[in-house]
Amino acid sequence: MGLIQKLPAVVDPLPGGRHLVDAVDTIVNWARANSLWPLTFGTSCCAIEMMASSMPRYDISRFGSEVFRATPRQADLIILAGTIVDKMVEVLKTLYEQLPGPKYVIAMGSCTISGGPFIYDNYSVVKGADRIIPVDVYIPGCPPRPEALFHGLLLLQEKIKKESLRRPWVDTTLHTAPFVNPFTRAALEWETQEKEREPAAAEARAKFAAENPDFKPFKAERVLPPPMPDLPRPAGKGAGLPHGELFDLVRAAFPSVVLHKNEGADRASVDALPSDAPLDFVVPPGEYLAFARFLRDEPRLALDLFFDLTAVDWEQPPAPNGATTPLAHRFHLVVQLLSTVHGHLVFFRVPLAENEVPDDSRKTAVLAEVPSLVPLWPGANFKEREAYDMFGIRFSGHPDLRRLLNPETFEGFPLRKDFTHPAMVKRPY
Amino acid sequence: MDYIQTTNFIGDWVRGLGLPWGLDRAVNGILGALTIAGVVMAGATLLVWVERKVSALIQSRLGPMRVGPWGILQSVADILKLLVKEILVPNGADRLVYFLAPMLPLTAAFMVLAVIPFGPTLQVANPDLGVPYLIAMGGIGVLGILIGGWASNNKFSLLGSLRSGAQMVSYEISVAVILLFITLVSGTTDLRTLVLTQQGTVLDWWVFKVPGLGLAAFVLYLISSTAELNRAPFDIAEAEQEIAAGYHTEYSGMGFAMFFLAEYGNLIASAGVAATCFLGGFLPPAIGVPAVDRALFAVPGLVWFALKVAALILGYMWFRWTFPRPRVDQLMALEWKFLLPVNLGLLSLGALFTAMGWVLP
Amino acid sequence: MELVPATDQALPPGFLTARSGRATEEYFINMGPQHPSTHGVLRLVLRLDGETVVEVVPHLGYIHRGIEKQAEAQTYLQYLHLTDRMDYLSSHHNNHAVCLAIEKAMGIGVPERGEYIRIIVDELQRIQSHLVFFACFGADLGALTCILQGFKAREYITDLFDAVCGSRLTMNFFRPGGSVRDVPEDFTDRVRAVCGKVDAMLAEFDRLLTGNLITKERARGIGVLPRAEAIALGCTGPVLRGSGVDFDLRKKAPYGYYDRFEFSVPLGEAGDSWDRYLIRMEEMRQSLRILEQACRSFPGGPYRSKEKPAYRLPTGTWFGAVETPRGVFSTWIVAEKGEKPWRIHSRSPSLANLAALNPMCVGHKIADLITILATIDPVIPDMDR
Repeated sequence: MGLIQKLPAVVDPLPGGRHLVDAVDTIVNWARANSLWPLTFGTSCCAIEMMASSMPRYDISRFGSEVFRATPRQADLIILAGTIVDKMVEVLKTLYEQLPGPKYVIAMGSCTISGGPFIYDNYSVVKGADRIIPVDVYIPGCPPRPEALFHGLLLLQEKIKKESLRRPWVDTTLHTAPFVNPFTRAALEWETQEKEREPAAAEARAKFAAENPDFKPFKAERVLPPPMPDLPRPAGKGAGLPHGELFDLVRAAFPSVVLHKNEGADRASVDALPSDAPLDFVVPPGEYLAFARFLRDEPRLALDLFFDLTAVDWEQPPAPNGATTPLAHRFHLVVQLLSTVHGHLVFFRVPLAENEVPDDSRKTAVLAEVPSLVPLWPGANFKEREAYDMFGIRFSGHPDLRRLLNPETFEGFPLRKDFTHPAMVKRPY
Repeated sequence: MDYIQTTNFIGDWVRGLGLPWGLDRAVNGILGALTIAGVVMAGATLLVWVERKVSALIQSRLGPMRVGPWGILQSVADILKLLVKEILVPNGADRLVYFLAPMLPLTAAFMVLAVIPFGPTLQVANPDLGVPYLIAMGGIGVLGILIGGWASNNKFSLLGSLRSGAQMVSYEISVAVILLFITLVSGTTDLRTLVLTQQGTVLDWWVFKVPGLGLAAFVLYLISSTAELNRAPFDIAEAEQEIAAGYHTEYSGMGFAMFFLAEYGNLIASAGVAATCFLGGFLPPAIGVPAVDRALFAVPGLVWFALKVAALILGYMWFRWTFPRPRVDQLMALEWKFLLPVNLGLLSLGALFTAMGWVLP
Repeated sequence: MELVPATDQALPPGFLTARSGRATEEYFINMGPQHPSTHGVLRLVLRLDGETVVEVVPHLGYIHRGIEKQAEAQTYLQYLHLTDRMDYLSSHHNNHAVCLAIEKAMGIGVPERGEYIRIIVDELQRIQSHLVFFACFGADLGALTCILQGFKAREYITDLFDAVCGSRLTMNFFRPGGSVRDVPEDFTDRVRAVCGKVDAMLAEFDRLLTGNLITKERARGIGVLPRAEAIALGCTGPVLRGSGVDFDLRKKAPYGYYDRFEFSVPLGEAGDSWDRYLIRMEEMRQSLRILEQACRSFPGGPYRSKEKPAYRLPTGTWFGAVETPRGVFSTWIVAEKGEKPWRIHSRSPSLANLAALNPMCVGHKIADLITILATIDPVIPDMDR
């Protein structure tokens, strides 16, 4: 309530008013610290540990925090459980602004502290949630155990108990902190602390050495695991129709279809292939739809389930002298089909040549086009949107071709080999 | 009716002061209102803690432990925190209605409790038309929820308030019919007289009195009132998993605290009505053995009333933490296709029994 | 509800299939990314007629972490630990699929004990994941006690994982050729003890939720997914089996030693929420059966084959698939020269299953949408990767 924030200004000048404000501070802080209602907000793995912390074994309700509110209007605390990514940033800012003050934020897990395992070579993960909203308590861990969350909660309670109405919580500006490598920052802090402690520590060491002249420090020894046998892999157990039979069926209908990286294969060499690696056909772009329809409708194959669709970008990195090797087929679009009747999988790929586009817009332009498989399998809808989002391959005839994972305003196509993004930091080691 | 009656010891005391110009009435009214407000606020705050402890018991947890012994001050901290929290008004909200809405459900709880006889000489007011008054006041609560959801300018709130409006208006009818049934068999609308008609042994309580029908009416009342209270399993108006927080999605701080307390205030009121109408109100559970009965009557009526209310509230809580929630259309079907016909049948049977004189065992 | 093709309306992105022929005004509501029952940061945009759902459009990517791009700059073992964080409720299964692909590529065999450890740990995780399903399904129905009891049972298994892998959630336990370390000496006794506890809890769950009249009313005939549609949408796992399709990778294409164990695959008939719920409850009992058999014949010997100094996969494409609690998870590796993959793609079962959400929800109420979503049992980081 806004009124209580005005209390110090009015009461402090009065005789004895300071004590009254102090008393109100104590009571208000006691109430706030002991009644931290978190928002139900969890993005990934840490959310499960956050849930586990409110469950019977750990029971966050002991601290009065089991009242997880679904609406930000009634919450006091955001526990940032899980990675924050670029698409989430605006949502998180809105949520933070929707919280009535005083509001607190706990960053749970390495991802929210610094980006954690996703800090390098990654274009979408925010490198530290404190670059978006102010954070009160950091809990490291991947994910932190519930005990660690409780520790963080208790630290926050301590912090709240030191607040005063004289220094109101109102902080309407959102800080956009410059990116400082948190590891460097932590190392520097650690170093200064060590320096401060050094005289006392040296004294203690000298005292200990004088008192225990016979002491030998413990030396760690590496315990090697017992030697393990070098086993060869036994021949795989295939499922469904044998490879040779599949190959014959396909070749009888489509003579132009060959095996990937094995163009000259015949029945005998196909039989010799490992049976647990699915056959991988290469289909000319012109026959793509007809081939897919054939696989679906051929009753002996019974490839009814649309398993997956993805693509590969074959663009090679430029040579040291800057020369690029022109590719006949830049992308391979790979379709994976599964038979729920027999259990066998069949892959087929269609090579896609690159469209002619001006060099400067090459990174952001759609480079290839194939017919959509949605009329054959409705399940292809999301997968084709993903391939469009990641590779910039247009699927003609797709009912709703939008980006699936990246924001609509995203520029470029991440899984292309020439993709660059300002947030992508190369691993320095 | 006489506003100040001998049923109210405050009234007696105020009248003894001999204040001029009807001031005694005013003083009596203010004192009564303050008493009820205190009872509701303290009771609701305590009940929030009890609810959390009961749910913890059912869910093999401990519940609040850190604030005060066994965390008993937990809800005090909660309410205090909500009081000093920022109040946000959503953009486009109807400010007047937005601030008015949270007060209505709490008012309804006050109004109902004002006529409940807590003890032989503990009743703020005793209108002759006590039962119709209860029915009328029950309708005020839903008004707050309806306009609160509407004024919030939020689709989740709107959905919640519409659900709640449909649900509470429907179940209001069932509650009303059951209360009419009690009026019919007891022959009075005066709540204090209604309690006094249950004098005698335990078997003279209305829950046991009309052979079979009293018990049926009691169970039906519990179901209908759970729905009327918007409590789980019939809490579709604030179903957290479906529509965030329902009608109070946009309420923060004090507004939410008042909705929150009103839920428990209404819980006390509803349990109080059930105790008054079915379980003999402030009368002790006499068993007909004079020695035992003398001991039971030595305990103040307020204690008996509180015990009955507490038992009923525990029942409500047990419902809440055990059952899944029906869907909104299933809930309406339950009322209009099952509860209402049964209740009307009950009312007709009650009329028949009264006419034939089969009411007393 | 009668549906006519959309013609004149300007709709938000994604809505384009149909328009109801009613005279009432439709409205849109945005559910998520922060919503208590979208199981994370899934965002659903609903098109409603009153409380009836006309169309659902999921918006993904609120936890898109670019794992596939990042993997191209990392070694295979570094990628292995990222798979834990994709579907965190089945991290062992994800590791298993990656290990299968690498083993196929490099011809690494797994000793008998290693295979047994994998199966026991996999099945424990299957139970654990289904317990989370039970918890969330109960909570989405409004029976909040279920979520606590479900997690209580889950903690028994989590304790075991803590002892075996040193972690509660993101285990990173499997390696090509076996597991990273051996199990404790009293492993089978502990597994048996956990199985006993979980079995007792399952009986309790049946009394708490399965037998409840309101649960049956809320789940029967709700969210029906016909058999043909389930196959065409590419659903796998309990969602597919709920529609009566007998497809379980452990039976159809057994990996590891699954063909040595006796267990049955429960199938649904109607394809509604109730069937999917019952299937998961029954799968937990079948997993207990597998665990019992595996504990009885748990072999000694080495737990893994010799560790390779570095994993350099031969050029080519490699594939590994396992049956996770949510369906078939597969890893598809395109290997070129070097220690790093040219391209790694994971097939996430949740994404394919989510495609079934809109057809299942049309014509039902908002409350049913929540329970239908719960029976799909999605894990959002698995979809978004």
